[in-house]
Amino acid sequence: MKHYTKLVRPYLIWSLLIIIIPLLMIVVYSVTTGGNTLVNIQFTLDSFKKFAEPVYLQVFLKSFQMGLITVGFCFFIGYFLAYTICRFSEHAQNYMILLVTIPMWINTLLRTYAWIGILSDNGILNTILEKLGFSSISFMYTDFAVTLGMVSDFLPFMVIPIYTSLSKIDHSLIEAAHDLGANNIQTFFKVTFKLSIPGVVSGIITTFLLSVSTFVIPKLLGGGQYMLIGNLIESQFISVGNWNFGSAISVILAVVILVAITIMRKIDPEKTEDE
Amino acid sequence: MNRKIIELKQLSKNFGEQQVLKGIDLNIYENEFLTLLGPSGCGKTTTLRIIAGFDEPSGGEVLFHGTDISKVPAYKRDVNTVFQKYALFPFLNVYDNIAFGLKIKKKDKKTIDEKVKNTLKLVGLEGFEKRGVTLLSGGQQQRIAIARALVNEPKVLLLDEPLGALDAKLRKEMQSELKKIQQEVGITFIFVTHDQEEALSMSDTVVVMNEGIIQQIGSPVDIYNEPENRFVAGFIGESNIIENAVMKHDLLVSFDGFDFECVDKGFKDNEETEVVLRPEDIDIVSPENSRIKGQVKSIAFKGVHYEIHVETPFRNYLIHTTDYFEPGLNVGLSFGPEDIHVMYKM
Amino acid sequence: MEERTIQKKHKIGSALYITLCFLFLYLPILVTMIFSFNSSKSLTRFQGFSLTWYERLFTDSEIMGAVYVSISIALLATVISTILGTITAIGLSKSRKIIKEIIINVNNIPIMNPDIVTAIGLMILFSSLKIEKGYLTMLLAHVCFCTPYVITSVYPKVRNLDPALANAAMDLGATPFQALTKVILPMIKEGIFAGVLLAFTMSFDDFVVSYFITGNGVKNISIVVYNMTRRTNPTINALSTIVILVIMITLVIVNIVPAITKKRSKKNFELEKEGIFIAQNKRLKKYAGTAAAAALIVIIVLTSYAGNKETLKIFNAGEYIDPDLITEFEKEYNCRIIYETFDSNESMYTKIMSGETYDVLVPSDYMIERLIKENQLAEIDWSSLSNSDNLNKDIMGKAFDSENKYSVPYFYGTVGILYDKTVVKEEDLKDGWNLLKNTRYKNNIYMYDSERDAFMIALKALGYSMNTDKKEEIDEAYNWLIEQRVTMNPVDVGDDVMDNMIAGNKALAVVYSGDAAYIMAENKNLEFFNPDEGTNEWFDCMVIMKSSEKMVLAHKFIDFMLDVEHATINSAFVGYTSPVEGAYQNMLETDYKGISSYTPVMGNKGNEIFRYQSAETKGYFADLWTKVKAH
Repeated sequence: MKHYTKLVRPYLIWSLLIIIIPLLMIVVYSVTTGGNTLVNIQFTLDSFKKFAEPVYLQVFLKSFQMGLITVGFCFFIGYFLAYTICRFSEHAQNYMILLVTIPMWINTLLRTYAWIGILSDNGILNTILEKLGFSSISFMYTDFAVTLGMVSDFLPFMVIPIYTSLSKIDHSLIEAAHDLGANNIQTFFKVTFKLSIPGVVSGIITTFLLSVSTFVIPKLLGGGQYMLIGNLIESQFISVGNWNFGSAISVILAVVILVAITIMRKIDPEKTEDE
Repeated sequence: MNRKIIELKQLSKNFGEQQVLKGIDLNIYENEFLTLLGPSGCGKTTTLRIIAGFDEPSGGEVLFHGTDISKVPAYKRDVNTVFQKYALFPFLNVYDNIAFGLKIKKKDKKTIDEKVKNTLKLVGLEGFEKRGVTLLSGGQQQRIAIARALVNEPKVLLLDEPLGALDAKLRKEMQSELKKIQQEVGITFIFVTHDQEEALSMSDTVVVMNEGIIQQIGSPVDIYNEPENRFVAGFIGESNIIENAVMKHDLLVSFDGFDFECVDKGFKDNEETEVVLRPEDIDIVSPENSRIKGQVKSIAFKGVHYEIHVETPFRNYLIHTTDYFEPGLNVGLSFGPEDIHVMYKM
Repeated sequence: MEERTIQKKHKIGSALYITLCFLFLYLPILVTMIFSFNSSKSLTRFQGFSLTWYERLFTDSEIMGAVYVSISIALLATVISTILGTITAIGLSKSRKIIKEIIINVNNIPIMNPDIVTAIGLMILFSSLKIEKGYLTMLLAHVCFCTPYVITSVYPKVRNLDPALANAAMDLGATPFQALTKVILPMIKEGIFAGVLLAFTMSFDDFVVSYFITGNGVKNISIVVYNMTRRTNPTINALSTIVILVIMITLVIVNIVPAITKKRSKKNFELEKEGIFIAQNKRLKKYAGTAAAAALIVIIVLTSYAGNKETLKIFNAGEYIDPDLITEFEKEYNCRIIYETFDSNESMYTKIMSGETYDVLVPSDYMIERLIKENQLAEIDWSSLSNSDNLNKDIMGKAFDSENKYSVPYFYGTVGILYDKTVVKEEDLKDGWNLLKNTRYKNNIYMYDSERDAFMIALKALGYSMNTDKKEEIDEAYNWLIEQRVTMNPVDVGDDVMDNMIAGNKALAVVYSGDAAYIMAENKNLEFFNPDEGTNEWFDCMVIMKSSEKMVLAHKFIDFMLDVEHATINSAFVGYTSPVEGAYQNMLETDYKGISSYTPVMGNKGNEIFRYQSAETKGYFADLWTKVKAH
């Protein structure tokens, strides 16, 4: 079997070139000035200082706030959905999970784009509201629209891992809990939920990662004035052209997410044993 | 005597700091059923893997018909292996598993068909061609694994604890089956096991190993009756080992305060030695008829015989006998000169 | 008895909840599918069944090109990352612990890093190495983020593999390579299959990474969709519907066929016919392998074929040309146009600064001035432009390029306010730009999402020059904008203003005169006015980059656009005022008859043209703009 150890070499080189070096370059850009080239660079922490201005911190906080709200909704809707699916026959479960999976395979942009037609001022939702005798509501370009778009897009990423954890639970453990006198609610919190934590952690990490860094959903459903951290980075690279500042924000975002993930991982009992 | 087929010369193997083989010298002959016997970690499997070509020796040579093959990769060697857990390919059926090696060698379809059929017959599984291997019983999988190796007509078949996963009854059956197959195909089998009974009942030659060193090479009878040291004696069967015997001179050994006649010679006078007494070789007699006296401490029925512990002033003796003795009874112990096996001190 | 009814109730409740969740997940998908068959452009009202959008889809070369790019990149990236990931996973299980840990951790980076960070990292890498962005960079990037997923799905399978199996194969005479293909791969094929599926979807769906690292007009479906979302285009719905159907059918096949074949093979086993079945299966596998290989070769051939004709790279604003004209030019001059779009002058400039090169650009006045100063533009050879006499001389010779040495006008106009006559009171219009701060219209305003135009409004409202470099004036304008943001809660839009205003979603919108013309032609309730404080008179011109090696063809393209007939078609399509006199007259008599904004009010007192800003001023503005947006 020694024969195969050499097989990792191409990837070692590849990952150095295309994973490590780009990351290092972002870091280099974040601590230098000199525009979009590396020709005459100078070390500075100005980009990070700039980030400390209240406007940008506000954007950062807003992103995390939106991320947490999205994760929260995904968690409550998703956990209950996964739990409910688990109560059906195995055959039905397979079909339901397939149905949860299918939207994941369809382009986020396409799905988000469809929400515009539903939410816009003269859109389907408002048409229905008017037909029912309510006055129309401006859904588009609000926190509501952005949250709705994110929850709808990211929900499957929460449901699938939780379902996987729940469906693996040995039913005799639940019976044992009942046998030992726990009622349904106690059993759920003391046994079922604890055993599903690995799935919950994985789901939370994925949805949080996606919702904190997205820039497409806020741009389409929140409008041009809707700034989340992803939009800030995008604007620095695409329109403003301040790569140094854009890199600095990226570094901060990556570090904060890394910390968040590490903390989440700590909660997961299986993962820590594994590593 | 048959021709030598494999010679191991000063074979050693290190895994990092750990020295697994410490200079093995061994000749293996054509048509021989040789067993490498020893406790786990003794180096027997490593020796086998070096012969198969899965591991490279750190030092020494492996000669095959006189040429060194230690650098030849496994797939170019004229040996085949039966693996511990069979290592059958689960995605192939019985036929394709057995035909695997022949297909690699690009044999024509007719030859493959014929050989697979014959080999299946040899292992007694005709008509199993299209079955999936995962659905077979342990014994059947075992036979397929043997067939898969034998179909390539190797000069040497290596078997790495092949019976370990079988239950006791099936194991007995397979032991005689293996011996039968070996005689039928007439090639060398190198068999690795930690089960002394298995080793003794099947082999022409037994190689006892411990801690990377060969302890003794010999026929099963020799190994059992004339263990060369305490390790071999202890490992092969149950025995009473007397660690503080002294060889007065040839044919006379002293322990437990008495001199005993024996059949061993070639030791120096007054050399410190060890003595092994097999439990079934000791007779229980009335105390007045024996020099060694003691008291029955416990007795347990073992099916054919009783296992009795007798406490003497010097040590406890273990005795196998078909007679019943009440615990607490004062008894004497008796054995003849040919029952005393004197060994070098370790 | 009681328990039973409770359970039944539970069951109904569960089914209801699941239905609601699925409704939520599938609502956008359903809407997309339904409206793809709508006979009108509306995304909100179904006005009859038609297949128009499907016809449009298959004749739209941009979308079809994007479909090709998406599929071919996804296939190639899947093949490459599957091979790379699989061999790495196999090697990994045998490697020393330290190497194993390094690779597993590095491998987690693209999975755990936000897409956008991965994207900019690669963008910086490719720019610094001066690798021309396009198909190859996109492929590399996709392999970069797909491979980790392959490794994570294959590695556990390899780890659980009995090492004796590979030894057994070699023992039976297989070389290490044969052992790999004949034993290890079949044993881990489920993991590989999962990796293939993951890699394909990750690549096929990717937007963020592709968006940042693409170039040379290479666009995948996501990028096209993103560019199109500014203006309602039900063709996207048709495309989505097809994509959704293909995915659903594939998933159903993938999930249901194994179940059926399992049943079949069981039956066959009972009938002892499995020999035949296995043989069939093998043949099938062989066919599938050959087909996949053939598909790959076709892709590679097609990809390399594209480079045979002479190419012209054009960089223009989004939705700023009739695509039929591009096709016509390609036919007439037997060349290929690589057409890319930008959403603002600033993003165009950033792209050029990142090393991207083009032949023809269509920037605005102040950006042209900047490019001239930075020596980026080639002089126009007016003698080779046979249609130059068609140009309206009044709009030539403006300050940013006083002799038109470098620039040929493309469209021109002003910026003004589009208002809904049924909502906005006539007397409020006298407020000029401050109409945008009239609280009567709170929550009822679209602003144009552009740095210079936003500041222009604020500066004009305060009575300053829009080209000011005085910090205190700029700060005042900044405060004006922040105040407006706080009190009025306006929405910043780009080209999506058109759909929204046509639909009558809000009462006021800051728009370009040309967009206003287009919108007013569709919604008769709207009127356009230029505030008295003055406004931005803008001129978008065609320029040729100095680095261009296609001078002749670039001039031919400019000349082509100056042709009266072509200019008419173009102006009709985008709604902007043509500098080609004949085309302008045609429009006044046809499509934009009676539409005031098609004739921009030029020369008003207080009107200005944007001028080049010093780096310092520019940086100051950019900073404040980011802050306005972030507020």
